[in-house]
Amino acid sequence: MSDKDIIICRCEDVTQAEVEAAIDGGITDPEELKRFLNVGLGPCQGRTCGRLVLQILARKTGKPVSEIRATKTRPPLVSVPIKEFIGSDDD
Amino acid sequence: MTKSYDAIIIGGGIIGTATGYYLSKQGLTVLLLEKDYLTAGSTGRCITGIRQQFSTPATIKTAMRSVALFSRMEEELGRDVEWTNSGYIFLAHDEQKVETFKKTVALQKQFGLDVDYLSAEECKKIVPMLNIDGLLGGTWCPSDGQASPFFVVQAYAENMVKNGCEIIRGDEVTGITVKSGRVESVTTASGAVYGAPMIVNAAGPWAREVGRMAGVELEVEPERHEALITEGVAYMNIPMLVDYRKEGGYFVQRTTGQFIGCYTPEHQVKGRDTGSTLEFIAEMARRMCRLIPALEDVAILRQWSGSYSMTPDGSPIVDETSVAGFFCSVGMSGHGFMLGPALGESLAGYMVNKTWPFDMSEFAFGRSFGAKEDLA
Repeated sequence: MSDKDIIICRCEDVTQAEVEAAIDGGITDPEELKRFLNVGLGPCQGRTCGRLVLQILARKTGKPVSEIRATKTRPPLVSVPIKEFIGSDDD
Repeated sequence: MTKSYDAIIIGGGIIGTATGYYLSKQGLTVLLLEKDYLTAGSTGRCITGIRQQFSTPATIKTAMRSVALFSRMEEELGRDVEWTNSGYIFLAHDEQKVETFKKTVALQKQFGLDVDYLSAEECKKIVPMLNIDGLLGGTWCPSDGQASPFFVVQAYAENMVKNGCEIIRGDEVTGITVKSGRVESVTTASGAVYGAPMIVNAAGPWAREVGRMAGVELEVEPERHEALITEGVAYMNIPMLVDYRKEGGYFVQRTTGQFIGCYTPEHQVKGRDTGSTLEFIAEMARRMCRLIPALEDVAILRQWSGSYSMTPDGSPIVDETSVAGFFCSVGMSGHGFMLGPALGESLAGYMVNKTWPFDMSEFAFGRSFGAKEDLA
């Protein structure tokens, strides 16, 4: 199977080939990969792809995963409809 | 031996990369130094809006030039930057704002901007989902728009490198050497020294500290602004809505279908904290639904904050400083992404030819800070 067919981020449809090309282009920080590929910015907020991106980075840069700064996790952690935050007079 | 360049830029956001690109286009060899990763400062935390509705001549002209540059960015830089003319509506809920808006629209029209003052009913025609309770009117500029800050910076950075320039990430400038009143070189955290006859401070919220390295005091103060983004939903035709009420805010539907927005905190929060708060999510949710009730079913995905680098008058400082060869493009006061392309082009032109495209004395270094921008 070609790297172009391996999906790393399902929410934003990012392939392994795209992640590797960005790293080859000098983007070696997970935060910058996130911004330029949208990897991890979809509905799952990186739950699946976050780890995969770190593993690809570790393989390509030779740095262990433990030494790579993972991307920041932001609230609300799971997507929550706006109405849940608003409440009503009865609450 | 010290490696030398025609110019060194400190900061890898919209200001640094745009200035670098336009310098490279004129054949200069440029080194851009970014202490973290590209867009790590204010640019990557902004809410993507690009407007031309301002209240002073130089800002209006700069913003109009930026829109012209955004419009042909994909063609010039070879990357889709998600630019679209989705427009901006400034909403007036009190008589004072009506007066201000009528005055600013008249000024903007003098420069050829396609802007109009509309009644509340006319606003509703443009945004059928808008709740117009209490609305007196609004200003509508259909050529205002939005783009992805990430893709714009990426496009400028790629083209800089293509033009023979260098970008170094993850190495912080720790010192600037000045000799006989002129810049000479920078020193970085890794111990490297790079020389150049021209150095640009494009350090956003760190601009004051970078200025001091060369002995230049810049009146730039970072302030915290929070923001959020929702999941993508079907297109609802919502341009950037700017609500100036005490419990107002501003938000837009992105080309991705997501809503992105923020509000100005009631009390200024100084500093560079980029953390998150649940309080903001609840408050912003309420404010968004007050304007567009249909948003209540849209799910919030992510909340963060970023820095506005404020000057006392709300306009940037773009000029050569009191140290020869030391330039600054700082104090964007929340408008860096939208003004960035045109400011980059103007400053690059000034550094090479010593001429500005039009009177930019409003942005001069060492000006006395007078009246504040009306459409801050």
